[in-house]
Order: sequence, then C-alpha cells, then structure tokens
Amino acid sequence: MKRDAIGSPIARKTLIGQRVKKPDAPEKATGKTRYINDMVLPQMLIGKVLFAGRPHARIVHIDTSAAEKQPGVYAVLTGKDAAGLKFGFVRDNVALKDKVRCEHDEIAAVAAETEEIARRALELIEVEYEDLPGVFTPESGAREGAPLVHENFPGNKSLSFEFKHGDLAAAEAASDFVVDNVFRPHHVTHCCMGTSCAIADFDHNGKLTIWTQTQYPYNYKMDLAPALGLDPGDIRVIQPPIGGAFGSKLDVYPYEPIAALLAKKTGRPVKVIYSREEEFRASPTRQAAIIHMRTGCSRDGVLTFRTADVLLDNGAYTSWGPTIPVIMMRTTSGHYRVPVVDFKAQAIYTNNPYAGSFRGYGNVQTTYATAQQMDMLADMVDMDALEFHLKNAQKSGEVTPQKSFLRECALAECLETAAKASDYSRKRKDYAAQRDKPGRYKKGIGLASSIHNAGGAKIHKSDGIGTILKVDDYARVTVITGASEIGQGIDAVVTLIVAEELGVPLEHVTIVNNDSDVAPWDVGVHASRTTFIAGNGTRRAARKAKAQILNAAAKMLDEPAETLELRGGFVVRDKCGTPLIDLERLLRRMHFQAEPELVMVTDYYEPKSEPEGAKHISDHSAAYSHAVHVAEITVDTLTGEIKVDKVTVAQDVGRVINRMGLEGQIEGGIAMGLGYALSENMRIEKGMLRNPCFRDYKLITAPEMPPLDLHFIESNCAEGPYGAKGISELPTIVIAPAIANALFNATGVRIFNPPMSPEVVARAIHERRASTPCASSLESERK
Amino acid sequence: MQEITSYLAPRRLDEALQAMADGDATVLCGGTDLAPQTESGMRQYKAKLLNIRRIAGLDGIEAKGDEVRIGTVTTISEIRRNPALAKIAPVLVEAAEHFASEQIRNAASMGGNLCNASPAGDMIPPLLVLDASVELASWRDGAVQMRRIPLERFFVGPGKTVKLPEELLTAIVFDRPAADFVGKFRKSGPRPALEISTVSVAIGARVANGRLSDVRVAMGSIAPTPLRARHVEAALEGKPLDTATIAAAVAGTADDAKPIDDVRASAWYRSHLVRVFVEEVLNDVRGN
Amino acid sequence: MTSVETEIRFKLNGREVCLKVPATMKTLDMLRDKLGMTGTKYACGEGECGACTIKIDGKTVNSCLMYAVDCDEREVVTIEGLRTPEGLHPVQQAFVDYGAVQCGFCMPGMIVQADYLVENNPNLTREEAQRGLEGNLCRCTGYTKVLDAVEAVVEKNKCCGRC
Repeated sequence: MKRDAIGSPIARKTLIGQRVKKPDAPEKATGKTRYINDMVLPQMLIGKVLFAGRPHARIVHIDTSAAEKQPGVYAVLTGKDAAGLKFGFVRDNVALKDKVRCEHDEIAAVAAETEEIARRALELIEVEYEDLPGVFTPESGAREGAPLVHENFPGNKSLSFEFKHGDLAAAEAASDFVVDNVFRPHHVTHCCMGTSCAIADFDHNGKLTIWTQTQYPYNYKMDLAPALGLDPGDIRVIQPPIGGAFGSKLDVYPYEPIAALLAKKTGRPVKVIYSREEEFRASPTRQAAIIHMRTGCSRDGVLTFRTADVLLDNGAYTSWGPTIPVIMMRTTSGHYRVPVVDFKAQAIYTNNPYAGSFRGYGNVQTTYATAQQMDMLADMVDMDALEFHLKNAQKSGEVTPQKSFLRECALAECLETAAKASDYSRKRKDYAAQRDKPGRYKKGIGLASSIHNAGGAKIHKSDGIGTILKVDDYARVTVITGASEIGQGIDAVVTLIVAEELGVPLEHVTIVNNDSDVAPWDVGVHASRTTFIAGNGTRRAARKAKAQILNAAAKMLDEPAETLELRGGFVVRDKCGTPLIDLERLLRRMHFQAEPELVMVTDYYEPKSEPEGAKHISDHSAAYSHAVHVAEITVDTLTGEIKVDKVTVAQDVGRVINRMGLEGQIEGGIAMGLGYALSENMRIEKGMLRNPCFRDYKLITAPEMPPLDLHFIESNCAEGPYGAKGISELPTIVIAPAIANALFNATGVRIFNPPMSPEVVARAIHERRASTPCASSLESERK
Repeated sequence: MQEITSYLAPRRLDEALQAMADGDATVLCGGTDLAPQTESGMRQYKAKLLNIRRIAGLDGIEAKGDEVRIGTVTTISEIRRNPALAKIAPVLVEAAEHFASEQIRNAASMGGNLCNASPAGDMIPPLLVLDASVELASWRDGAVQMRRIPLERFFVGPGKTVKLPEELLTAIVFDRPAADFVGKFRKSGPRPALEISTVSVAIGARVANGRLSDVRVAMGSIAPTPLRARHVEAALEGKPLDTATIAAAVAGTADDAKPIDDVRASAWYRSHLVRVFVEEVLNDVRGN
Repeated sequence: MTSVETEIRFKLNGREVCLKVPATMKTLDMLRDKLGMTGTKYACGEGECGACTIKIDGKTVNSCLMYAVDCDEREVVTIEGLRTPEGLHPVQQAFVDYGAVQCGFCMPGMIVQADYLVENNPNLTREEAQRGLEGNLCRCTGYTKVLDAVEAVVEKNKCCGRC
C-alpha cells in the first residue's frame, strides 16, 4: 500500500558545481587548529640537527662529550647511530651521515628539554672535517675523473630515462623550420608556511607512532622502515593539520628518522622542527635541469618532431627529483600532436641540495621549453599564431606516442576560449609592432598551454584508494578515507559528494583521514589525483550505502527501490520528491529490527589506467587535461620590472565540483608559478645556499597578484567523479611560459633561464638594444 | 656569550642616559633590527637592555617653527601619516610609504633606522636631502649633554656611526625647507615591499625659473653608507633643468655610486638603476 | 644565553595577564610557549612573512620581532581574541565564506592584519588592501579570495555598520 507523504515535495538540488565552504576553515580562521608545529605532548623533548655547513667533506672526528654533559640534554646521536640503515629511492641515504655530501647533511642530533638547550648543545659538538673538492654542476659531475659523491655510483651517474618514437632523421629532413634552444629551469623551493616538523614516540612494544607532515602516509611506512630497521607494519602514521606541502612531503627526509632515533634513545616523544633558515637549506627543491630541446614543423605549420636531451642536477641524494623525466617525456611527446619524439634524460650526482617532488613535477620545467618553442615557431610559419596552435591541438580520442589516451580532449576549446576572451590575436600583432618604437613601457601578450595527468598516474603498483563509510542512527555520516588533506580542499570535495549522494546536510558529514591505523590505503597526494580518485572512491562508497538504505526503505515502504531517492534528510519518491520517511527514523529501524543492519560500507577504487612500465608506453592516467593561459604584461624596459596586468585562464576541469575550491587552487597555483617565473631563485654557489630567508628569496605578495579571468571548460570526463578531472598542477605549469612569451611579444627578448627577474630582463633588453641598432631588422623574420 | 643582567624601561631621559653612561647598554625600541641581528648572532647584547620607548619627550613630530623636530621613537607609520610632514617634507613621507610592510612600519623607529646605519636604510636619503642633523645625548659631569651631528657626517661605514656607546640619538632635526623646495624619492627592489632596497635615490632642490639651486642628491645601497652624491649635485647646481643638465647629472652618478655585487643585485644593475632613477626623478621635478 | 627575567602586566584579548619573561624573549614565543596560545604562528622569525601578526595598542606588528617586555602596560590582541562566544568575527566569517582559507597556516596573521586595515579605513579599496597585506605571505591562495573577503567586509560595513 502506498505510503502517505509526510511533508511537502522536496525538489532536486545539486551541490555539484556549487561553492562549498571548507569544513576546517572556521577552526583555522580562529587560530584554534592545532597544526603539527603547535603540538606539545607530555614529556616531549625537542630535537635539533647539526648540519654540515659545507658541501663535500670527510668526517675525521666527532666529539659529542661536552654536549652530552649539558643539563637538560637527553641524547646526542651521530652517524654511528644510523650506520647501515639506508633508505631512499636507491638506498643512498642514511639519517645521520658518515660523510658530508651536501651542506645540509645531518651530522649529529640532540634531544633536550628545550629548543634553547638543544641549540646550545649543538654548538658544543666538535667536528673535524677534511674538505674535499666538490662537484656543483651536472656537467662537472659527469666529467672524467670528477670527485665521486657516492663511491658506489661511478661517474656520478644517477637515474636515466629514454623514449623514442618514429624516424627522427626523416622528420628533421621534412621540417622547414626548426627551433633549437637550451633552457635552464632553476632551483626553487616549496616554502610551505609551516616549517618541517615530525614528532616520534615508541610504545613499550617497540611500535613507532610518528606525527608527520607526510602526504603519502602508507608508502611512507615502507620508505621510513629501513631508515630505522623497523617492520613497516610497526609504524603508525598520524597526520595532524599542516601548513602546506605542495609535493615536498612525498618522501622521507632525514629529520624524520632522526626524530624516531632520538625517541628510541630517550624513551620519550621527540619533536624535531626546522627554523625557516633550516627549512630553506635542508628541504627538497624543485628539480633543476638543463633541457636542450628542438622542435620542428613544416611550412604549413604542422609539427614534425620534438626532441629533448635533459641533464639533471641530482644533488647529493636521490629523491623524487630525478624521476621527473617520467613526466617530462609525456609533455615532450604529448604537448600538441607530435609525430616523432626523441627524449633522453640523465641525472648526475652533485654536492648540491637535492630535489623532491614539487607541484607540476617536471612539467613546469618542460612546458617552459615546449610552450616557448611553439611561440617561436608560430612566428616563423605563415599563419596566425592561434591557428598554428589549433592546427596541432589534439582532438578527443587521439592517442599520443606514449599511448596517453586523450579520451576527452578540450585543448582546442581552451585555446579558443582564452584567445577570444583576451583578444589575443589582435593584441599580439599590435604589441609586436610597437616593440621597437620609442617608449619606456611596453605591453605584451603571451599564450601558453600544457597537458598534464588529471586522473592519477600509475607509477606505483596501485593508484587506488580505500574508503570506509558509515551512517549512524542519527543519519550522521563518517567517511574514513585514505585521502590526505594537505590544505588543497579534499575535505570539502568528499563532504560535498557524500551530501550530494545521501541527501544529508554538509555539516552532518565527518571525515577521518589522519591515522594509518584507522584509514585505508591511498597512494598519496600527487599527480593532481585526489579529487578524481578520492572523489570516485567516495562516490562509490556513498552509493553502496545509498543502495543499502534504499533497499531497506523499499521493503519497509513497499515501493520499488529504483523509484526512491535520498533528499533533504528524507527518503523520497524520486519523480515527485514526495518525502516518505525521515532518514534518521529509517536508520534506527534498520538497526533495531529483527534482523538488524548497520550501514557500514567499504570500497577500493582502482582507476582504469595502465602501469607506467619500463618502456613508458602506457595509458598511465585515467584522464588527461589541458590548460591555456594568456598573460598580459607591461614591461618597464629600463628597470626590467614585469607587471602582470591580467591572466586569462581556460582549463579543462572535466566538471566543476566545488567551484570555490577549484578557483582557490587555480589562483594559488598561478601565484606559485608567477614566483617561479619572476622572482623565486635559490642562489646556490658551490653547494651553499646564499639566500635562505624570505628577505632574499622572493615569494609573490598580495600587490603582485594580477586579476584573473577564469574559464572552466567542462569536457565531462566519463571516468571522473561526476565528470571531473584533476586540476591543481596545470595552473603552476602554464603561467611561466605564458609570461615568457608575453615578454618576447613586448620587447623581443626571450629568457631561456628563469626567473625573469628585473635584472635579468633589464640586461637582456640592454644587450638587445646594443646589438640591434636598427630594430626593424628583426621585422624581416616576420610577415 | 653575554648575559643580560638587567632590563630597564625608564620614563625619564636622565635616568636612561645614566644607565648608558658606562657604555654597556643595548638600546631597544621597536626591535625590528635588534631582534633579527641578535638572533642571527650578528650582534651581541650588552649587559643592560634599555627600552627607550617610554621615555618622555622622545616621541612626537614638531613642525611649527623654522625647525622640524622628529623624536627618535617616532615610528615610520607616524611619519607616513603625519599631515604636517606631508606638506613640509613630502620626500620623507614618500620614503615612509615604501618602507617594508605595515607591520614593520608600525614598530620601526626613526632613530633605530638611523643608528642601524644600513647602506640601504630607506629613511636616510630623504633626510640627507633635507640636510638633517641628529641630536645625540649623553650623561657626563652630572648632567645631560647634547651635541648635534649633520647626518652627512653621521655614518662611517655599514652599521657604523660616530655615535658613542654612551650616547642616545634623541631627535632628528632639519630646517623647514624653503617654499620653492621640491624633494622626490625613488627606490626599487624586486618587490614593491619588504625588499631591503636595491637602490634608492632622493633629490631635493630649490626650483625657480626652471633653474635648480641648493641641490641635494642622496643615494642608498650604492656605497658602504648612504651618501650625498656630490658629482651629481655639481652637475645640477645653478643649472637650468633641461635635457643636457639631466644627461650630465646621470653621467655624474658614475663618480658617486660605487655599488657592489651581492646576492640581491649586481653592481651593473645598481649603477644602471641609479642612472634610471636620477633621470626619472629629475624629469619628475621638471614636470612640477 | 640567559637573561634576567622581568614581570610584566598587560591586557591580552581584554583580560589582565601578569607573568615573568626573560628580557630577550619575543612576544611570539611568550604567546606560544608561556601562554599556550598557538594561534599566532612562527613561519620565519624575521618579520618577513606576517604569520606572527598581532595587534599592540591597536596597531599590528610582527610579534617575532617585538620584545615581550615591551608588552608591559599595553593591550595585546591576538587571533584568539577576535571571535566572541556568539560566533566568528566578521572578518573571520568572510574568510570562511569566500574560500580564503586553504591550509590556513598564514590565516591568523592575515586575518588580524585584514581586521586592522578594515578598522582603520572604512573606505578601503582592493588596491589599498593589497598594499596593506604586502607583509603577509601566503603560499596556498594567491591572495585573490583573501582580497574578495576583505572587500566583502568593507561593503557590508558600509551598508549597515558593524553588526
């Protein structure tokens, strides 16, 4: 018998595409949130690290006796306490060193009652070094007879990569135009506002609990275990709120096992926390590289080939940095339609700081090259620049030489949207015509695009995520997800999806994701994967719960489950929205009926992608996406200052889920890319960082942020949650070459070695003026 | 390492000066230079830490008579917001406008900026152009002793002044500029804010009938101390403010500016910017 | 480095506080380590990033540079002092509503500074807000939504005053 309505009809409403507030924002805005940096545990000691302060040396002798005697000092450790406990991608690192290979090598560590006592104890540690000649560039590291950074890596050779496709000789012969340049993307660093911090504590069973800033909590156990001689199963990882990560927390860094070694030695919790200077010196950097790139095209503007010969400054140890060629080659082979590709990369050990993972992961460096070469070729062929880009833009269904399947490809739409909104083609011609006329300030417009993974990247054995979801007797939902919240807003996305599927208020959703003893596995926050992967996992789990609930409702209400829906806290008839039973009441009935059932579901979602493979020919992501930036700038040709007046963005987001979060990630990503393009620069001289402070390492500030015109292209990715694709890296990847192209448009000057700082730009303009007295001679190359 | 054995926050100048008389006191005001310099070990504390912020008579901007007097504890924010200074010495207000960040401006004192004697001290070139002097007080022979030093002779090297350890800088004074005096300030850094300036230029002169007189040109970050650019001044003094004069002034910078290479900028760029700014500021004055 | 301790007495978020601090201690460390008020953050310790911004006698300063002894007889306001038992301060609420909070680490300093700017200039323009926030670094947001939130507060204040 049909049930009566228990209220007026509830209309369909969707949260997808709405502006959803971040659930943890109020606590953060009131200063109540306890970040790991704020944590104090009972009996906790403070750990400080003694860094080598020199790039390459033998440790002759260490005397810690004076330090150990200090009142308030509980432990002093040196290399002998970590001997043989090798960790790292290629097992080339230990927590405390027996030899100095870079300026931030950890020589000793102290645990003491206060930071002040620990610092004083460090000063009392006497170390005798024998300085060794160092290698500070990959070229010099690769030279015959160069000093070895690691004895077991002859020739200082670290990782190497290769990918070839097609007949290069034939493609070169068929090219009418070839651009051939060397780019030197530089060292920058993450500058998370919360400095590095870890707290370690052992229980009486020898199980380690580590509070950490990690963004990959499960594989982290596997990577940390050898540094301590532990079983990964005996490590519990807890993730308190952190002050940013951006890829820097995708590996184990020595201060973490140091905290654990100190905790083991003292029997007390130990917190190691970096000062800002230590953060600058000892954190991983973005991978610096020397990219020799060549791109060719035919007279009628069709790309014929692209080659890249890459030399990487591995630094002293191998972390994620030297693995970026895996993505660099994807850009080389997949940024626009490229029929022939030749890519090779070699990493060389040096005595410089080493690189980790950093938002954009090799694509920032590569696109700086590919997008500028596209702009250069656009000037050589006899066609409108936009037409040249469109001619080579892939379409949905195309497959790249590496087998990236561009199921839904919106590059052309992004190009057209951004170009139209910014009036790109007209301005590009106008500004170029003004370039050599008199005038101190020159306007320029530049376009750049890129392609990036948007559905994870199967570089590990699994690219999946586990989700556990329960709905209690009060219709409150708890999602226990493997997805880590690092400030990027996955908490808002997961909350939104649960509310959407189960028809409950956002405030009734709780997320648990910060304890490896509780939450299921996820590979980590990288490759712009979290909304895609965790979004799908959450949606699947929520739908399982919904199915269970609606089945129970169907039995109780005697109506087919397919006709029912969850809306506004009720079970309703889907078609008309008539509420039939309050969800809470239904859940309690399910719980306390004769055959009780609780709503508790699990899900493991593995995206449909292929493992990377040694040959690098695989559809390694479940989705790919594109972004186009058009940057408009004004250049002060005397001081070299670039003012960014506006950036027009067209990005294929698949589908907008949380509009506010999406905007925030794009805005923040662009700010990071602007810093990379214009002002951030680690001045490393002979292995020593000369500017380890915000005064001399310049981040973008509020007055420098230009107005942004954002266009979201929804290509509706079949595999993505509600059609969404991953988005957070492309904004950082695309902005720098857009500015570089705008600079050329304005001034005729191209900067191959970022950053485009005022001094670099002023010098380049000055040199160009000195060497081209008749500026119109440049015009002969153009139509 | 030196221990601080006493902390004092006197309310009277004579008390403060007596505490300083043995030369063993570190002066504290806003802390914006003292804090980072002692944290980094660049500077050591003396036995006494002397907070001068509460001393009567060290604050305030008096601009009523012929002499303008700025109390040493006056913050950069107070300079920036002072309506009288905006009329009398806009070149000083302009420097305050671009000084670091609001948080720093609210804490940093004028006296501190001068005593820190950085070659890049932002407030110094405008004060040089205003021909300012500093008042130094000390306790000797049972009384407060005062002396005045023209700012141009105050600095002897990076971080070094002629002020004796027992002296306290109590005020900055300058004569109210003539009605036809025009002063301009221009600085750079890779950033609008928070850079310790890469280069700064201040120019002041009496402008009448298109001619400049009583010319003062001051520059920062191009030598061990901020200085008066005498060659540039000579190229401008008494001359009509035309293209040829401006060119001569720009050329004159080469004789006054001797910058170095450091992590912030190269000598080439600093010299280049000085030329650009001198030309820009002179054109600005001309435009007036 | 030991230093003499001095007793100071000051108002903290409206309440009288009395404690002893070493002469060299900075206000930031006093707040975080002696008073357990960890809302104000250490992010650089050299007055460049603004994460430690507090208000002293109504003016914002970097607490990492301010000597704790100088708090004596003064009024200090920290991020914890902005909200009331009834709810978030309007600036805090705007930051939440406009999506200005991502990792949130810089937000206490940013919000205190934004509140100070709004308080002192009811006609604050977006450009003035940008200049006023130049001493507050953020690595997550690109400042855009921070400025949107500040603009919204200014607008709201113009229309109906402080609610």
